[in-house]
Amino acid sequence: MGIKLPEQTAPAPGSTSSGPGRALVAVYGVFALAATARAGFQIATKLGEAPLAYLLSGLSAVVYVVATVALAKGSPRARRVAWAAVLVELVGVLAVGALSLLDASDFPDETVWSGFGAGYGYVPLVLPFLGIAWLWHTRPRGPSTD
Amino acid sequence: MVGPLALIVIGAATVLAAWAAWFVVRDRAVILRQLWGGAVVEGLMVVQAAVALVLVLNGTGSPEPGTFWGYIVVQLMILPFAAAWAFAERTRWSSVVLLVACLTVVFLEYRLLQIWMG
Repeated sequence: MGIKLPEQTAPAPGSTSSGPGRALVAVYGVFALAATARAGFQIATKLGEAPLAYLLSGLSAVVYVVATVALAKGSPRARRVAWAAVLVELVGVLAVGALSLLDASDFPDETVWSGFGAGYGYVPLVLPFLGIAWLWHTRPRGPSTD
Repeated sequence: MVGPLALIVIGAATVLAAWAAWFVVRDRAVILRQLWGGAVVEGLMVVQAAVALVLVLNGTGSPEPGTFWGYIVVQLMILPFAAAWAFAERTRWSSVVLLVACLTVVFLEYRLLQIWMG
């Protein structure tokens, strides 16, 4: 067959989307896809049943999509967007996780963030911390910054 | 028919996940043979989707069609993305991406099976 993969290389430092960042972007991508599919279906078919839960589901989808794109781009502006997205994500998973435990009737396990992401192996709870750690690790360092 | 196929998909994706995990440990990038393995898993999922479609058209449908087909579409999209990544990222992290992709396929397949069984 004519297909060939390029030679293996060493990871390039300092970019949000290379090396470990690429794995992180992949995980964010999976959640962007999963949350968008889920929220799109919920909002299109049964928004009236639990509007708060389904709109939060939609919010989580937007946050994951924005975080995925911003981390993949990694320009200075995209980094700021990525910071905002992962912080909203952290607040979201903690708030929705707590709300879903306190007021279970309005949250019939219907968002990615319900129960702190228990339905997704608690990955949604860990992910914002990984995102923050990675943005911190790859922050621009030089005489004019920080 | 969907049940046994689902178990085959789970088995194949788990083997590929283990292979990718081994490459992560060995600090190696994804190789072409693993992508062919991914193509086999993808093919199995396409067969499964076709079988499910035939069964649904014959009236033995799943209880939650929206969720079921949503999972199938998402599941079919994951491995091609991981393969594209393997071309762009030529470090061990492409193996991490393939590992994540395979585990996601296994998880979605498990959920599909749950929904199908009702």
